[in-house]
Amino acid sequence: MKNVRVVFSKTGRARFISHLDLVRTMTRVMRRARIPLWYTEGFNRHPYLTFAAPLSLGFEGLRETMDLRLEEDMPFEELVSRLNEAFPEGFEAISAAEAVCKAGELAQSVYRLALDCPIDAVRALLAQGEILVEKRTKKKTVKTMDIRPAFADAQVEACDGGTVMTVTLPTGNDNVNPGLFLQALNAVNGGTYGMRVLRLELLTAAGEPFR
Amino acid sequence: MIDNNKLENLFLQVQKPSRYTGGELNSVTKERNKVAVRFAFCFPDLYEVGMSHLGMKILYAQFNNEPDVWCERVFTPDADFEALMRQNDIPLFGLESRDPIRDFDFIGFTLQYELCYTSMLNMLDLAGVPLRAADRGDDMPLVVAGGPCVCNPEPIADFVDMFFLGEGEEVDLEVINLYKEHKKNGYSKAAFLRACADIEGVYVPSLYDVSYNEDGTVKCVEPRDGVKPTVRKRIIRDLDLCYYPDYFVVPYTDIVHDRAMSEIFRGCIRGCRFCQAGFIYRPVREKSVDTIDRQSHALCESTGYEEFSLSSLSTSDYTQLEPLLDRLLDWAEKEHTNISLPSLRVDGFSDELVNRLNVLRRAGLTFAPEAGTQRLRDAINKNLTEQEILDTASKAFRGGWTAVKLYFMMGLPTETMEDIEGMAILGQKIVNCFYANPDKPKGKGVTVSMSASCFVPKPFTPFQWEPQTTMQELEEKQKHLVESVHTKKISLSWHDAKTSFLEAVLARGDRRLCRVLEVAHERGFNLDAWSEHFDFNAWLAIFDEVGLNPAFYANRRRDFSEVLPWDHLDYGVSKEFLVSENKKAHEATVTPNCRQACSGCGAACWKEGVCVEKR
Repeated sequence: MKNVRVVFSKTGRARFISHLDLVRTMTRVMRRARIPLWYTEGFNRHPYLTFAAPLSLGFEGLRETMDLRLEEDMPFEELVSRLNEAFPEGFEAISAAEAVCKAGELAQSVYRLALDCPIDAVRALLAQGEILVEKRTKKKTVKTMDIRPAFADAQVEACDGGTVMTVTLPTGNDNVNPGLFLQALNAVNGGTYGMRVLRLELLTAAGEPFR
Repeated sequence: MIDNNKLENLFLQVQKPSRYTGGELNSVTKERNKVAVRFAFCFPDLYEVGMSHLGMKILYAQFNNEPDVWCERVFTPDADFEALMRQNDIPLFGLESRDPIRDFDFIGFTLQYELCYTSMLNMLDLAGVPLRAADRGDDMPLVVAGGPCVCNPEPIADFVDMFFLGEGEEVDLEVINLYKEHKKNGYSKAAFLRACADIEGVYVPSLYDVSYNEDGTVKCVEPRDGVKPTVRKRIIRDLDLCYYPDYFVVPYTDIVHDRAMSEIFRGCIRGCRFCQAGFIYRPVREKSVDTIDRQSHALCESTGYEEFSLSSLSTSDYTQLEPLLDRLLDWAEKEHTNISLPSLRVDGFSDELVNRLNVLRRAGLTFAPEAGTQRLRDAINKNLTEQEILDTASKAFRGGWTAVKLYFMMGLPTETMEDIEGMAILGQKIVNCFYANPDKPKGKGVTVSMSASCFVPKPFTPFQWEPQTTMQELEEKQKHLVESVHTKKISLSWHDAKTSFLEAVLARGDRRLCRVLEVAHERGFNLDAWSEHFDFNAWLAIFDEVGLNPAFYANRRRDFSEVLPWDHLDYGVSKEFLVSENKKAHEATVTPNCRQACSGCGAACWKEGVCVEKR
């Protein structure tokens, strides 16, 4: 039995696959790729497969991770190439290796946000002392939170009349979803701006790639 | 062309967008300029339902197996996405190319149940093509349809250019090939339809004129332009040689039947008198163990599905079931693949086999006694005795099952309140069976779920002349069933009598109903099989306005001599046979199944399958 962390990208049409559907899709990909997955023991046997940080529906990711457990050894390069043969459109396996970081070490994500909003409006929002948004909690209540601190180091540049922002946000316990920024932007401007989200990298608290 | 960015922004505003995005595993993409024929295969219901349908998977793969044909999937968009499509002028598109289907050569519908007719019209409207066949010219796609509803397509005859009767594998490609020829030599829709009308299994409704008697019954159906007076269905003669896909499109989102499916035979030997499938798919033709084994394994490998089911009308009637399961389990167990067996009688199985299947999946056990008493089961020719049901239940309980589902029908011809009470009594006997098992699992109770649907008389069955029980009577019977159940181990559910009434009207209706459907479409009716969309009173109002009495179609007893709206269609089973079966029903006399003896239904004309087996 061996724990393997696969790094993969999920882009294009694949961004419309929800996290729940992703788990089912990956299980089938593994079977098609004839990856010797380890199955849990017990009444309802299923392969062991976990994801470090679910990606919201509509977001793309360049370096997502998925942990799996193999029943027999298999060279990592072969695992990667077999996955790439079996993946549907929008997925690509980049690397596979034994996991270095524990799942709990994942702390932040680097995002690139492409907003169809002029850069001045984005700068104006970032210049505010606080950016209050309403966030739904797991208990289905709504709480108000200030996302200004999370976006303090955001880099912005104009691009084709829109704005591209690169920002590193907390992931996991104090998760900040980049969608909240768009929510705040539209609340201020009364607009219906859109945003395309690309997650570039998962990081540990020390800023090292989560591998 | 549809603007992709605009479309994808809409996807983010709807529930389960992966129903509309395409790009699923194994979906087929071709180059637009390298194909001669583009076919939009439409299932007039939501993605979750349509993607579960085996027939669509077979034909999708078979069409795409042709290098110059590109077949794409199209489903009814859910209400949220439809609203956005209409607001943003997005026409109905094929999932694979995202091209508008009004630019395709064919728009094909599979019609599995009558209540999807409004969705068919809504999809044509969303596609931007005129609803009526007569309003679509040479520059419009041809609208074609197949599936079981096509055995009486008259209520939708004005909207569809041609129907394919029976099994589609051969006839669909013949029509497509003829289309390619016509396209090369100067296409006109009229000439093409006339040529198609000479193909066996093709029904072009515009080439048949219907006249009516004063009492509203059909006077006669007259062919025009020298087309064949009777259209006979097509069948596949040898299922081992017939195309079967080695891949399915694997959806991202959860669908109703999310598994691989292996068809093991077509038709049914039983001849239950209420069951349309039991008559229109005759004769029974089996696939060999080798073929099923090979096809099942190939499908599991190409899809990654962790489960597959054996599909047929009555899987326990497969003559080689135990050897087949042995073969399949050989690899399925090793590969962690579950085999699911629907509607099965396990009383004939060895304990070892029951155990092996158990290891893989402990699904619920389902029976369809259909009627509560032996007398009524004899009248409907349901060859299932109470003893068989109890034996199977006992065996399943010994194997560890704790849940049993029972399917019944209400409103069957000759039914009395005693038959209704019989359902409750049978349920109670099964509960008792569970407690009679000395090895029953500790701390676990038994659940018997009984579901009662309302009987709908269908064309090409011995009950095609029977009146449907009125809604009021059905509701009384439902109430009586509730009062007859005295234990909490039995849970009851039933179908809404109102939807069954509309189903009965459309199932045996004539062409005058086209106007009703057209008005229903104008009022925005869609997805009527879903209770949240179904508005019964609004339907009644339309019948009233159009001047048709729905009870004339649903609740009227037809005389054997009456010309039925589907009499010019031929499914191989003779009218004389259906008449004699109807008479036997009223005498509660059974007819042996096809393996016991030939009863001379007429399907032997094809000289295939069970009709030529040694008995």
